[in-house]
Amino acid sequence: MITLENVSKIYAPNIKALDRVSLDIKPGEFISLVGQSGTGKTTLVRCLIGEEKPTEGKIKIGDWEITKIGKSEIPYLRRQVAVIFQDFKLLPKRTLFENVAFALEVAGKSTKKIKSLVPQVMKIVGLGNKMHRYPNEVSGGEQQRAAIARALVYQPKVLLADEPTGNLDSINAQEIIDLLRKINEFGTTVVLVTHNKDIVNRLKRRVITLHDGRVISDQAVGKYVI
Amino acid sequence: MLSNMFISFYRALKFSVKDIFRNVWLSVVTIIILILALFSVNLLLVVQVISRAAIDTVRDRIDVSLYLKPEAAESDILSLRATISGLDNVREVVYVSKQQALEDFQTKQKNNPDILEALRELDTNPLSPSLIIRPQDVGHYDSLIADLNKISNPIIESRNFDDHKLMLDKINTITDKVSQAGFFVSLLFIFITLLVLYNTIRVAIYTHRAEIGIMRLVGGSDWFIRSPFIISSIIYSLVGLILTTVIFYFFLTLLQPYLETFFMNYDFNIIGYFKANFLQFFVLELVGTAIINIIASLVAVRKYSNI
Repeated sequence: MITLENVSKIYAPNIKALDRVSLDIKPGEFISLVGQSGTGKTTLVRCLIGEEKPTEGKIKIGDWEITKIGKSEIPYLRRQVAVIFQDFKLLPKRTLFENVAFALEVAGKSTKKIKSLVPQVMKIVGLGNKMHRYPNEVSGGEQQRAAIARALVYQPKVLLADEPTGNLDSINAQEIIDLLRKINEFGTTVVLVTHNKDIVNRLKRRVITLHDGRVISDQAVGKYVI
Repeated sequence: MLSNMFISFYRALKFSVKDIFRNVWLSVVTIIILILALFSVNLLLVVQVISRAAIDTVRDRIDVSLYLKPEAAESDILSLRATISGLDNVREVVYVSKQQALEDFQTKQKNNPDILEALRELDTNPLSPSLIIRPQDVGHYDSLIADLNKISNPIIESRNFDDHKLMLDKINTITDKVSQAGFFVSLLFIFITLLVLYNTIRVAIYTHRAEIGIMRLVGGSDWFIRSPFIISSIIYSLVGLILTTVIFYFFLTLLQPYLETFFMNYDFNIIGYFKANFLQFFVLELVGTAIINIIASLVAVRKYSNI
């Protein structure tokens, strides 16, 4: 599904954010990508969504070599490889429904399709009864659910979650992880970037550990090792 | 595919209109600057139309008169007329007989009974016959005068070569200077329009930076992200041009009475001229303004929308 071959990213003057990273992620896997701050986790995510180009190496998603894609193909990549962040990135002047619908509007989907698809996705993430509220009227956990719903409307093959629980209390954080597991059960490959030890240990899934831009551990059923 | 494009265009249009109203004061200032630029361009056009009409009026009035001796025989006069008609750069030679000259004089002085009375008391016609020569091209006025000076004929009593060319040159100089000043003022306004529009789009992009970032995140294409700003610039052009047309029409209505006084005895209607050429002006100015605005917004969008 996702293959990285000797991927390096060097920022000027000579800062190695990623150093010859090679990985193979199979379809439907749930991966935790862990490591301390500044080890290259977010750089890897940015490379996977085409926001950064690796200095060296290849990244393939299916048969698609995304290290070679042009600027015009990036929007299509982003519909296949969705991403959620710690700060939710919701538009404050739009309701949760409108925030999710926005992703479909941008892709030129019809109003009819938007009206039928958005409530379904909102229901999946548990926001069926709060979709007409504004972001500041719901909890952080619910805002993250809305961000997940927005990521899911394209039915992406891969969902990258970059520190999705960073701004949440432990109960909300666990609910978000449960939701990600549910999404993974539907067949979406999930890459969870985190440095939350408890979450990683409870998941009992594959854990890849990065340190100074290198993969130092890759365990099929792993634990947080740093 | 086509319906998707239509939906995307409709959404870009909606986004653009919302943005215009969200930054309403900035939009108003942009449109005012556009109006000033378009008004100065139109003013330049009016100056050119007026100067052309003024030159035509003067040109029609430019003539050279040869006064002939009262006793000159009709056959000699007609022979001289034929000679002059054969000269280069002569458009027309009009023979004004003694009788015709008298009638013209009486018509001219009909409100001056003292002069008419004096004329009646004279008992004879004191006026001389004349030949009125109109040049083909006023640019060659000097050579025509030189040619006429070369003709030596005993029936010529006097020659009236008023220097109409001087007046024509003066009009040309004034209109050239006004046109030049208008051209630079127009250029200045066009440049200011470019800067103002560039800044308007830059501010609009800044206002929308969160939306733009999320659009990129969820797979919005460059076209979808940039098009609302391009559409905004076209809307500014259209609104600016429509308002300029309305304002300029009122300005011409105010100007027309002064022009009528200036062009007395000459059929000149600036409003009629603009009405007759309205479509041509409107389309040309719309295309020109839209091109300038699209260039300014494209540069701003390319530079600032990579959020």
